[in-house]
Amino acid sequence: MRYGGNNRSRLLLVTLIVTSLFFITLNLRGVQVMTGVRNGTQGILAPFQRAASTAFSPVGNFFADISHLGRTKAQLKSLENQNAILRTQLLNRKNVDSEIKQLKSILNLAGIAGYKIVNAKVISQGSSSGFTQTVTIDIGRNMHLTRDMTVICGQGLVGVVKAVYPTTALVMLASDPAFRIGVRVAGSQEIGILAGQGTDQAVLQLLDSQSSVQSGDVLLALGSQGGKPFVPGVPVGEVTFASDLAGGVSQTAEVKYYSHLNALSVVAVVLQPPASDPRDALIPPKPIPKPIPTVTIFASPPASPTPTPTK
Amino acid sequence: MYTRRVAYSTITFLAVFIIQESLFTQIRFPWGGFSLLLIFALCWAALSTPEIGAITGFGAGLLLDLAPSSGGPVGQWTLVLILVSFGVAFLRYGDESLRGNPLSVVLIVTVGVIVTLIGYLLLGALLGVELGTTSELLKSILGNGLWTLVVAPFVLPIASRIHRGIFETRESQ
Repeated sequence: MRYGGNNRSRLLLVTLIVTSLFFITLNLRGVQVMTGVRNGTQGILAPFQRAASTAFSPVGNFFADISHLGRTKAQLKSLENQNAILRTQLLNRKNVDSEIKQLKSILNLAGIAGYKIVNAKVISQGSSSGFTQTVTIDIGRNMHLTRDMTVICGQGLVGVVKAVYPTTALVMLASDPAFRIGVRVAGSQEIGILAGQGTDQAVLQLLDSQSSVQSGDVLLALGSQGGKPFVPGVPVGEVTFASDLAGGVSQTAEVKYYSHLNALSVVAVVLQPPASDPRDALIPPKPIPKPIPTVTIFASPPASPTPTPTK
Repeated sequence: MYTRRVAYSTITFLAVFIIQESLFTQIRFPWGGFSLLLIFALCWAALSTPEIGAITGFGAGLLLDLAPSSGGPVGQWTLVLILVSFGVAFLRYGDESLRGNPLSVVLIVTVGVIVTLIGYLLLGALLGVELGTTSELLKSILGNGLWTLVVAPFVLPIASRIHRGIFETRESQ
């Protein structure tokens, strides 16, 4: 029999809808109760996330790699030949090595620029149910983190601290559609605004109609007043495609982030900006092309035949 | 009886929420991944009356809103899930031919997930939330739908068993 509903169920539905609209209104008006409840939720979830991170870190990207099966087929084939114990040990070792490597590069970057940083481990990759690009890190108010602090990794900018909880913090990644940062082009010093697109590519909009960029130009963070939300000089990305200026008010360009935002494990939060702007000191070095050994073969005439004596 | 049902249902949904936010957020799924809580809530709604479906949507939506990684304002998931859960429960309740057919539940849940995500996006657009590029959103929604088709057949028997344990008196009606 078809359900026809009655006044009681209609009243219930309307009540629930009105309640949710009430929540939305409270939230949009900035009522602190909602923020407090979310903070409480993160406080409850943090121990579970930490435990899960410890257990899952070696295999966290396994499912993502499934989409690249074709490319990694040969690698998978060779891995199948190894026994289970060795494989687990190797995965654990790789994970630790990768973290050490990332830590070294972060310290190198921060050392050159003079940033005062605190390292953090990514304990959650953000919710797949939403459309925001975030990660949760394992430090929060306990390490004196506040909102709007710059987050970096060894390659450059990662994002900005969006919310701080007692022992964790939520980081909005540079790839988030709502992410905006003022950047300058290394060398020419042209300035523009870079906007996240939900992918590892971003869009640069130059502010001056007379200025221009070209493929290969390096973008650095312009920096904010007091170093919040962005400290100056952090490498952001490289221009991969510059649009034609004709027809537009100012030039736009596609930019590829230096940081691999889909595979973050160790990051650093900048607690204090440098005393002076590091300018272009943090530009990543261009890869040096390795010389390809060549072999030159000279064609030489065969040895002249020796005449044989005739009888 | 009523208090016991509410308490057990709340504990069940909190457990699913914790599993979702602690375990599933560790894994970077290709094509956007899926939300276990969303799938579980819609399976639960599909097994319930429209009234319980709406209340399920309210509870699950509120949990999704309270997730620290949730981008929108509190209430956005809640509003969308109330309507979709009510709709899913209404469809299941209204059509006798759909009863007892797990495949139809899986399909309804999959469509429900896609409709929820589209509704969430539309509401987000109305509230001025930044959404990202159309291609990425489409990829994410379709990916979520495909993942739901894969995951829902495993979630449905578990949800069904727990649901029967809590609401067994309804089955005898």
